[in-house]
Amino acid sequence: MSQFISGLVLLIVLMIPPVARLMESVMIIHMHMQMPLLVIAGYFMARLFMDRFPSFFEKYNQNGLPGILLFTIIMVYWMLPRTMDEALTVQTVEAFKFISLPFLAGVPLRDSWKKLSKVGRNNLITLFTVMFLGFGWLYIQSNSQLCNNYLVIDQIILGWGFITMAISMVIYLVYSLIVDPSKYE
Amino acid sequence: MIKNRQTLYSYLTVLLFGFVLFFVGTDGFTAYTAETARVTKLIETQPEFPEVTFEDSEGRTYSISEFEDKYVFITFIYTGCTTVCIQLEENMAQVYDQVPSEYMGKEIVFLSISFDPTRDDPATLNRYKNNFNSDGETWRMARINDQSELDSLLEEFGVIVIPDGNGNFGHNSAFYLVDRQGALVDVMDYTEVDAAANKLVTIIEADKGE
Repeated sequence: MSQFISGLVLLIVLMIPPVARLMESVMIIHMHMQMPLLVIAGYFMARLFMDRFPSFFEKYNQNGLPGILLFTIIMVYWMLPRTMDEALTVQTVEAFKFISLPFLAGVPLRDSWKKLSKVGRNNLITLFTVMFLGFGWLYIQSNSQLCNNYLVIDQIILGWGFITMAISMVIYLVYSLIVDPSKYE
Repeated sequence: MIKNRQTLYSYLTVLLFGFVLFFVGTDGFTAYTAETARVTKLIETQPEFPEVTFEDSEGRTYSISEFEDKYVFITFIYTGCTTVCIQLEENMAQVYDQVPSEYMGKEIVFLSISFDPTRDDPATLNRYKNNFNSDGETWRMARINDQSELDSLLEEFGVIVIPDGNGNFGHNSAFYLVDRQGALVDVMDYTEVDAAANKLVTIIEADKGE
C-alpha cells in the first residue's frame, strides 16, 4: 500500500502543471526524465494491482511476454518525434501520456519483469539498446527540425542522450555476461 | 491449454491496441512528425489568410486584398537568420526564375513575410531583398507590425517560431500558396524547387484554360 501511495504521489507531483511545463521545456528532460519517472510511478503503483487482482495477471500475463510487448509498444510510441510535439500542443495527447506511461508501461513492466528469465531480461535490454542507438542516430543526424516545439540543438542533445543510455546498457550487458555474482557472495 | 489460450488473447489484444495506437497517432502510418501532420491538415482545411497589415520594403502598407485575384507564393523569414532562411529564400529565387515572367505580378505574386518586425524595418528588408534579386514589386518582402496580427497569421498557418534567447529563432519552413480568393491551398516542401515551380505553372495554366 505504501508503495502504491509513493507511486501515486510521484504521479501527482509530475502532473502539477508548473512541474510538467518546466520538465517539458527541455527536450531531453521531457523524454529522458519525465517519461521514465512516469513509468517508475506506475511501477510503484503496480504493487496494489498485483495484490488485488493476482488472478488477472496470472491468467493474461502468464509468461510475462504480453506485458513486455505492451510496455515496448508504449515506449516506442513516446519516442516518436510527433508524439513529443503533440504532448505539448494537444491536450488529449498530454493526458494520454500521463495515463499510458504509468499504467500501460509501468504496471505491466513490473508484473512481467519478475516472470522473465535472465536471458529474457537481457534480450529486452538488448532490444532497447538497439532502439536507443537507432533513435539516437535519427535525432543526431537529422538536420531538419523533427519537433516543431524544440530547437535543432535540443534535438541533437536528445540524440546524444539516447546514445549515452545505449552505452550504459551495453556496459551492463557486458558486465552481466562476464561477471558471475555468486562467486563473490 | 486454457492458459495458453488466454495468453494468446493477451498477445492479440496488445497487438491490436498497438496497431490502433500507431495508426491513429501517425494518421495511418503517414505522419511521424508533427510537421507532416500539420501540412496535411492545412491542405485539408484551407484556412483563409487573416486580416493583417503589411509594411513592405518600400514602406507601403496594405492588406492581403492588395493581391486579390492573384496567387500569392509565401515564405516566412527573418533577415537576421543565417541558416535556413537563406536556403529558403535562395530556393524561392529559383522558383521565381522558373515561373514564366509574363505571369509575374499578373497571375502570381511572391511574398516573403518577416516574423521579426522589430528589426526588419523597410530599410533592412530592402537591403535583404537585393541578396536574392527580388524586385520589391512582383516579389515583395514585408513585415507585420502589429504583434497580435502577426501571431494570428502564424497560428492560422501553423508556423511555429521559437526564440533561442540569442536574438535568433528556430522555425519550421515551407512554401505556402494562397489562391486568388485568399485561401491557403497548398504547403510545399521548400527543398523541392522544381516540383514547386511546376505546380505553380500548372495551376496558373489550368486557370487560363478555363
